[in-house]
Amino acid sequence: MKPEENTGIVGWGSYIPRYRLPLDEITRIWGFSPETPKGLRVVEKAVAGRDEDALTMGWEAAYNALKRAGINPKEIGAVWFGTESKPYAVKPSATVIAEALGITPDTMATDLEFACRAASEALRIAIGAVASGLVKYALVIGSDTAQAEPGDILEYTASSAATAFIVGPSNEAAAVFEASYTYVTDTPDFWRRAYMPYPLHGEGFTGEPAYFHHIVNAVKGLLEKAGLKVEDFDYAIFHQPNGSFPLKVARKLGIPKEKVLPGLVTPYIGNSYNASALIGFSKVLDQAKPGDRILVAPFGSGAGSDAYSIVVTDKILEKRDKAPKVEDYLARKKIIDYALYAKYRGLIKRIRR
Amino acid sequence: MRFSIARYWRERHSLYRLNATRCLKCKRVNYPPSRICRYCGSRETEEIEVFEPGKVVTWTVIHSSPEGYEEYRPLIIAIVELLGSGVKLLTRLTDIDPEDIREGMLVEPVLRRTSEDGEAGIIRYALLFRPMIKGAQGHGHTT
Repeated sequence: MKPEENTGIVGWGSYIPRYRLPLDEITRIWGFSPETPKGLRVVEKAVAGRDEDALTMGWEAAYNALKRAGINPKEIGAVWFGTESKPYAVKPSATVIAEALGITPDTMATDLEFACRAASEALRIAIGAVASGLVKYALVIGSDTAQAEPGDILEYTASSAATAFIVGPSNEAAAVFEASYTYVTDTPDFWRRAYMPYPLHGEGFTGEPAYFHHIVNAVKGLLEKAGLKVEDFDYAIFHQPNGSFPLKVARKLGIPKEKVLPGLVTPYIGNSYNASALIGFSKVLDQAKPGDRILVAPFGSGAGSDAYSIVVTDKILEKRDKAPKVEDYLARKKIIDYALYAKYRGLIKRIRR
Repeated sequence: MRFSIARYWRERHSLYRLNATRCLKCKRVNYPPSRICRYCGSRETEEIEVFEPGKVVTWTVIHSSPEGYEEYRPLIIAIVELLGSGVKLLTRLTDIDPEDIREGMLVEPVLRRTSEDGEAGIIRYALLFRPMIKGAQGHGHTT
C-alpha cells in the first residue's frame, strides 16, 4: 500500500475577493493591443480589497475547509501556508491563522515559498505527515495577492484568491489520495529578488521549458507510478497562469477539454498563484460525484510540478454544502476601474508614517 | 509607534475570535471579555466565543479618518447585534458600499487587516463584518 492511500481531503474551502478588474482596463491604461487579453483567455481578474492580504484570504479559505471537515481545530497538528506574497517578510502568517482559528499552540506552523507551487509542496508534506501518524490532521493553505509590475504583460493575470485543504485519515475523507509525484529542476523562468516589489520573467521561457515540460513530466511520472492512463480520470486540473495553457497542456497529454473546463477558474479571476490549480480542484470537489477520479497538477516557477491522483468518496455529499462554494464567490463581484485597483494593491506611492 | 504591541497581543483573541465572558450568575455576555461582570459585578464568569453572524442595528460613515486610516476611507462604523448571544458590538463593515447598507442586514465576521504601524511596524488584524455570502449558512457558530 502506498502512503498516499492512508490519507485524503477531509475538508476543503476557498476564497475569492469581491473586486474584479476587467482586463480591458489594463489595455486602456498601458496602450496594449485590444487583442492581447483575448489571447490569454481571461476576462477579469480578482483584486483583494485594501483591508485584505494573503493572510486574511487564507484565513477565510481555511475557515471554510474547517467547516467542511467538522473537526476540532485543536486536532490539527500542522498549518502550512504556501504564498509568494506574505504580508511580512519575516513573521509567519501561519501562526496568525492558526491563532485565529483556535489551532494554537500544539501545532507545527510555517510559511512555504516556491512561486506558485509552495502550497502543493505543502500538500505532499501533509500526506507524509498524516500517513506516518506524526499528525492526525494537517491544514494546507495556498493564498496570494500576486504582484506584477504595472504595465508588464504579467499584470493582466496576476490576481488574488486563496484555497485550503485539511488532510487527514482516508476513512474520514471526501476524496482519498491514490498516488502523488513531483518533478523539479532549476529553471530560470520567473523570479523576484529580495526587496524588489515585482517579479521578472524570462520572456519566451515560461511556456515550453517551464510550464509544459514540468507538468507533462509530473503527470507522466504519476501515471507510471500509479499504473493509470489519462482515460482513467474524470477531471483534470492544471496550473492556470492564463486560460489557454491548461487546455494546451491537456491536448499534449491527450485529455479532452471537457474534463478540464469544470476546474478552469482563471478566465473569471486571473492567476491566483498558490491558489491557481488548487482553487480549480476546490471547484471540482464542489461538484464531483463519489467514485470520480481527479488529476491535479499544480506548477511553480523555478521550477516544479506535482501530480496527484485523487478519488472522490461518498462523504463528499455530506460535506459539500457546509461552506460557500467557489461558484458562490465567483457570483459575488463588484467591477472596479484601474484607479481603484491601483489603490487597493498599493501601487500608489504614499509617504506612510 | 502608533499603537501598543503589548495591547494588540493581549487583545488578539477578542480581535481574532470574538472571545467574551458569560456571567454564571446573571447569564449575560460581556464583550470585550471581563472577569468581573459589567452588569451585576459577579466574579464568577466563564470564557466563551461569540464568533457569530449578526444584523446591522445602526451605522455611520466617517470620511475624515484618524491618522493611519486614510487608505481605508470611508470607514463604516456599525453596531452589529450578534444572532446567537445577542451581544451588540461596535465594529466596522467591509466589502460594502455605504449606499447599500440596510438596517437589519445580515452580516458575518471576517478577518481583515485593520491598520498598520507605518511601512515597517506591526500589521493589526481583527474581525470586521461583511454582508453574508449567498449560498453560505453564515460564518460562526452560536454559543
